[in-house]
Amino acid sequence: MWSQTLTNPGRRLQQAPGGAARQRRRRRAAPLVGRFRYGYVSPAVLLVAVLLYLPFLWTVYQSFTSYSGLGPMTWTGLANYRTLLHDPYLLSAIRNTLLWVAGTLVLPVALGLLVAVLSYNLPHGGWYRLPFLLPYAMSGTGVAVAWGIILEHGGIANNLLSAIGLPGGGESFLLYAPQNSIAMIIASTWQQLGVNALLFVVGLQSIPREPIEAARLDGASGWTLFRRIIWPLLAPLTTVVVGLALVASLKTFDIVWVMTQGGPGRSSETLAITMYKDTFVADQYGYGSAVAIFLTVVTGIVSWLYLRRQLSSRRAIGA
Amino acid sequence: MRSRLMSGVTRRAVLIVMGMIWLFPVYLILVSALRPADSFDPSRAWVPSAHLGLWSNIAKAWSASQIGQSLGSSLLYAIVAPVLACLIGALAGYAIVVLRLRHGFAWFMIIFGGTIFPAQMLLIPLFVSYSKANLYDSRLGMIVIYTAISVPFAAFVMRNFFTGVAFSMFEAARMDGASTFRVFRQIYLPLARSALTAVFILEFTFVWNDLLFGLTLTQSQGTRPVMTALAALQSDVYAGTPVPIALAAGLVVSAPPVLLFLVTQRYFARGLALGQL
Repeated sequence: MWSQTLTNPGRRLQQAPGGAARQRRRRRAAPLVGRFRYGYVSPAVLLVAVLLYLPFLWTVYQSFTSYSGLGPMTWTGLANYRTLLHDPYLLSAIRNTLLWVAGTLVLPVALGLLVAVLSYNLPHGGWYRLPFLLPYAMSGTGVAVAWGIILEHGGIANNLLSAIGLPGGGESFLLYAPQNSIAMIIASTWQQLGVNALLFVVGLQSIPREPIEAARLDGASGWTLFRRIIWPLLAPLTTVVVGLALVASLKTFDIVWVMTQGGPGRSSETLAITMYKDTFVADQYGYGSAVAIFLTVVTGIVSWLYLRRQLSSRRAIGA
Repeated sequence: MRSRLMSGVTRRAVLIVMGMIWLFPVYLILVSALRPADSFDPSRAWVPSAHLGLWSNIAKAWSASQIGQSLGSSLLYAIVAPVLACLIGALAGYAIVVLRLRHGFAWFMIIFGGTIFPAQMLLIPLFVSYSKANLYDSRLGMIVIYTAISVPFAAFVMRNFFTGVAFSMFEAARMDGASTFRVFRQIYLPLARSALTAVFILEFTFVWNDLLFGLTLTQSQGTRPVMTALAALQSDVYAGTPVPIALAAGLVVSAPPVLLFLVTQRYFARGLALGQL
C-alpha cells in the first residue's frame, strides 16, 4: 500500500506544504531516485517544445495578422477573433465536432473495451482481434471508396435498410447534417476500434492475477468481477484510451477529408477541417490561424480538466 | 471455470460476428482491387469479378507512381522514429512515475500537450523553419518531426503503464546498488514489452500512413515517403486513375503494417506482462 501511494505523483501534488518539504529533505539525504532524473525527461520535453510548441507560438502570432500567402503580412490585432465570434460556419463546425467527441467516446472506446475483454485471455486471442486492426492499416482512398459504396445513394446501407423495412433507405447518408457526421463516425469507429482494443489488451495483461483469483475464491464472477476488480485495475490504460480519444475526436480531420471534404456545402465540417479550408483553400492564413488557436485552446482545456481529475485521483490498486 | 464474463464459446461467437462485420469493408476494398481496371461499378461492387485484374492493376500502379523508390524512405521513417519515440517516451514516463519528479503532473502535461495541436496547424511554421535550418527535403528532418509527434503518445502510455509496476521492485534494485538507468534498462523496459510493442506498431502505422508531413516537408524522390506517391496516384481517382488501380496500389502499401500486426501477435499473449511476476 505504502509503495502505491508513493508511485502516485498526483497525490504528491496534493500534499500539504510540509509534506513537500519533508520530501525535499529526504531526497537530499538519500538520492534513491538518482541525481540525473531531469535528464530522463528532457529529451521528450525538448523535442516537443521545439517542434510542436514553437510552431504553436508562430500560429498565435499569425492569428493577429492578415496574410494571404502573398504580399505583406499586416497586423490586425483582434480582428480575426472578432470575425470568429460571428462566423455561422464556425458554429456548425463546433456542433459537428461535439458530435464527433460524443460519438467517439461512445462507439470506438466502448466497443474497443468489449473486444479487448472478450479476447484478451482466449487462446489465439490475437487472431480474433486482427479484423479490427486491419482497417487501421488501410489507406485513405480505400476507406473513402469502401464507405462510399456502403453509404451512397442506392448503396449497401440503403438496400439493407429497405430489406428489413426501416425508413432511410432512399438516399445517400452523406447529404445532410447531422446524419453525414453520424455516418462518418461509424466509419471512423470501424477504423479506430482496433487501436483502442489493443491498448485495453495491454492494460488487461498488466493486471496482476492475485486480486482476481482472490475475488473468485470469494465467489465473485461475471459482471461483478469485471465491475469491482478488473475495471478499477484497468484504470491506467482506460485513462490513456479515453484521453487520446477525447483529443483525437476534437481534432477530427482525416476521415472527413477523404469522405466529404466537409461537404456538401460546409455541412460536415469539423473545426480542424474549417481551419484547414480557411488557411489553405481560402488563403486566409490569419483567420485560419485564429480558428487553429481556438481549437487548440479548447482541446488543451478539455484534456487538462480530464487528465487532472484522472491522474490525480487515481486509486492505484494493484500488485 | 464458469466464472468468466461469458463462456469461451459465447465470447468467440461474439468476436467472430463482430469481426465479420468489420471485415466487410475490407472485403469491398479487396474485390474492387482484384477486378480488371475498367470494370468498376459502385452499385455492384460487392460481386466479385470473374476476371482477376490484381496483378495488372499493381503493375500499372507501380509504373505510374514510382512507389518502389519511396518504400525505402517510408520504412526508414516508420521504424526509426517510433523506436526513438518509444525510448524517449519510456524514459520520460520512468522519470515522472518511478523517479518521482517534483511537479510530475506538470512535466507530463507539457509532454502530453504536444498532442493537442492539430497537425495541419504545424505545416506552415515547420515548412518555413525547415527551409531555414536546411532540414527541408532531408531524411533527418522527417525522422525528427515524426519522432517529436510520436513522443507524447508513447510517454502517455508508458507513464500510465509504469504506475501499475510495484515501486518495491525499484527500491530493491536500488538497494542492491543498481543505477537508475540500469533499473530502467533491465527491469522496467523488459516489463513493458507488450506496451512498447503496442506503441511501436501503432506509431509505425501512423508514420507509414502519414501524408501531411511527407507532402509538406519533402520534395525529391530520395526523401518522399510512399504515401505521397500513392496520393499522387489516388488523388485523381475521379479524374484519371481507375478505382481498382488506386485500390491495388493502396493494398500493396498497406502490406507492411498488416505484416507487422501479424508478426507481433505473440507479444500480446496472456501472461507476458506483469501477471507472472
